[in-house]
Amino acid sequence: MRAFIIFIGLALACSFAGVAAPTQSNGARAADTSNVREIDLEGLKKLIQRDPKDTRPLLINFWATWCDQCREEFPDLVKIDADYRAKGLNFVAVSLDEIGDVKTKVEPFLKEMKARMSVVLLNVKDAEPAIHTVDPNWQGDMPATFLYDKDGKVVFKHFGRINPDELRGAIDKLVSGKE
Amino acid sequence: MKKQYAVSLFLASLLIIAFAAIAGSGRNNDLPAAPAIGATIEDFKLPDAGGVEHSLKSLTGKNGAVLIFIATRCPVSNAYNDRMEALAQDYKAKGINVIGINSNVTEPASEVKSHAADKHLTFTILKDDGNKIADRFGAAKTPEAYVIDANNKLVYHGRIDNAQNTANITANDLRDALNEMIAGKQVSKTGGAAFGCSIKRAS
Repeated sequence: MRAFIIFIGLALACSFAGVAAPTQSNGARAADTSNVREIDLEGLKKLIQRDPKDTRPLLINFWATWCDQCREEFPDLVKIDADYRAKGLNFVAVSLDEIGDVKTKVEPFLKEMKARMSVVLLNVKDAEPAIHTVDPNWQGDMPATFLYDKDGKVVFKHFGRINPDELRGAIDKLVSGKE
Repeated sequence: MKKQYAVSLFLASLLIIAFAAIAGSGRNNDLPAAPAIGATIEDFKLPDAGGVEHSLKSLTGKNGAVLIFIATRCPVSNAYNDRMEALAQDYKAKGINVIGINSNVTEPASEVKSHAADKHLTFTILKDDGNKIADRFGAAKTPEAYVIDANNKLVYHGRIDNAQNTANITANDLRDALNEMIAGKQVSKTGGAAFGCSIKRAS
């Protein structure tokens, strides 16, 4: 009887542990996209400039729930995140939605997409400095995707819906040999 | 004979590789460059949403024109509907005409027409099938504005203002440019970036 109770207890403990720490099939912990972090212009600069100790390739996608091409390409981005996370890709999706729409639009959309990448929301009163911080030649058209190598150099950028094979090809060049 | 066959096969392979390289190198990332501030804007013709053809020259006011690339389905462009109509009303009397251009391959002329009626947009809206004019202007998104003066020179290219939400407007870049132009002054801020929906191009 005692052994049976211990066994049930262990079984329950194991199942609670599984729920508390969901893991992807590659063993990595899933990112928590239920709390989208707000950033301002300084936060965006820090995101792009990065901690010098972080040498992972960085993929940044600017999107919004109001942008239909952004929504159309999102499933491809979710797959790319799933395929390259374990290979060392750091993917941050930057939402340009209104801050008031985080709970009503942004997070439900991310849940529907089963998104696992880090997501932040850029909240600025004037978009121009932010746009120019990212790329002085960018007019603000969305979606916009930028891939940075370990030195912070832009090695791929695309405005409009991405071609996933092109993006994968660019990421492959950065992560090859890092499995 | 075998040698000739091998050479032909090799050359054919080279041709295939060359064609594949060319086909794969095109990306819609490479938008044509926008005309520089100060460039002369050549006349062009486009039909309106009802199919009637207009020239830019015929639609331009005596003091110039504001071309705005717009959309029917882009929430950002739609957030500016009232402001664009207000611009058209305010500046018509000052000899500057607002002209809308829809270059989205996904938005047919019939939709552009019904959208304008529904949103009470009274300015002429042209339908740019094949996005030829969008390419000529290097237009990337909606809304995106270009101001042409009475001498057909481009004096402003960029946003209407700094905020989709009217409560957050702190910079009225387009109106400031128009007012300076009307006053005979050089436009001090010739452009400004803002987020918007990419133009859905046919090519």
